[in-house]
Amino acid sequence: MTYSIIARCPRTGRLGIGTTTFSLACGRRNESVRPNVGISKSQAMYLRAHDPRALNLLAQGFTPRSVMNVVEANDDDFMYRQTGIIDREGNVVAHTGANCGQWAGHTIGPYYAAFGNGLAGPQTVAGIIEGFLADSDAPLEDRLMSALEGGCKAGGQATNGIHRPERSAWLRVVDRQDYPEIDLRVDLHADTVAEMRRLLERFKLYRDYYGERCRNPQDALPEEDFVPQAAVG
Amino acid sequence: MTYCIIARCPRTGRLGLGVASYSFLIGMYCSDATRANTGISITLGAPNPGNNALAVRLLAQGFTSAQVLAQLVQNDVNSDYRQIGVMDREGNVAAYSGTMTRPWRGHLAAKDHVALGDMLVGQHVLDAVVEGYAADPAASLEERLLVALEAGSDAGGQVGKGGRLPERSAAIIVAGIHDYSDWDLRVDAHDVAVKELRRVHEEFKLYADYYVERARSPRNAKTQMEFADMVAADQPKEMPAEMR
Repeated sequence: MTYSIIARCPRTGRLGIGTTTFSLACGRRNESVRPNVGISKSQAMYLRAHDPRALNLLAQGFTPRSVMNVVEANDDDFMYRQTGIIDREGNVVAHTGANCGQWAGHTIGPYYAAFGNGLAGPQTVAGIIEGFLADSDAPLEDRLMSALEGGCKAGGQATNGIHRPERSAWLRVVDRQDYPEIDLRVDLHADTVAEMRRLLERFKLYRDYYGERCRNPQDALPEEDFVPQAAVG
Repeated sequence: MTYCIIARCPRTGRLGLGVASYSFLIGMYCSDATRANTGISITLGAPNPGNNALAVRLLAQGFTSAQVLAQLVQNDVNSDYRQIGVMDREGNVAAYSGTMTRPWRGHLAAKDHVALGDMLVGQHVLDAVVEGYAADPAASLEERLLVALEAGSDAGGQVGKGGRLPERSAAIIVAGIHDYSDWDLRVDAHDVAVKELRRVHEEFKLYADYYVERARSPRNAKTQMEFADMVAADQPKEMPAEMR
């Protein structure tokens, strides 16, 4: 049980992922996002090897459609997997196996895919998309965050009619650099989506300071002096 | 305002790092620091975020740890502000603490591990990190890294102008033989990040084998809810008197 959105910002070309799940530490899956290549996010009863293999194929020039065909041909248990793949141009495919756990499904848009399994119903995916599309001028990280909040508000995850909590979440955005521009994780929390919102708002206070300290450390304030400003700002 | 250990398990060849920091998002700066069957490199202080990936690529090309370190230093006009640890897949290490990183700063380098940190109470923090790491060589690498962080925290950790600085973020990453991590846990923006990392680690241990097995044999796998209910049933509701 998990719900995710993968997207390419049509204005900036940045790629990003927002995901939240009952499983622990979903953000450990660094291998699912590769700058200037794309994103492959497998879930349900996923194989860790899927995503790096898919991205290797994307990097060689295969389309997301072809990549999905290769992944399928290589996997006897494809019906247990759910996967979304997007390339650097925003071409998207998604797959929801028949044995992924009810309710499961995906919706593809022009530069995004929203998908999940073990959900309360199709309304969760609809909520993700509503959140994501609410402000198309917003930075990608805000849109991904709104998408997760939209999915959560719409009912999130459930099995046998019982709501299941989000226990971990991950929000990563990559630009042209080979390290992430934003990478926020909640690994185990009772109110995960709200905690991710808190992290994102905290990150916004610090992002210029951290970026500038890396580039021009000779001019940087000590962090313990910056913190009170951040708390006010 | 960070302390860190990078290490190679001599029994298994697995490579890992443990890190704790006053910065609230240290795990984000560990992206690409580890690569299975290649090595580890971490840049701290005022980190240069491109360094980790560059260093690991150089290791993959066959550069020695010392050569990698020399390349990172000469490639960066602000290298005085960086602290760097490098280790290859055989456990050969190199380390560097730029003169403009904030005191106490330093590193302890040995075969198979490097401990490094800045803005520490003193060198005894790094001594404690290494002692914690060395305490139980039979334990898993992720466990040893976490014990090392706990020892560093117990020894006083980091200090700023106004006194002790809390650990606000922490992470453990271990690479085995795959092109994805074996173990990768993080705590961001927390008041007692090392303690919280222990909590997450203990909980994750209950699930780790289940996640691997479910991926391999989904046809026979319990659903995660069934598994989670089993885990919950196994947890003592109240600690027995004799264990208190």
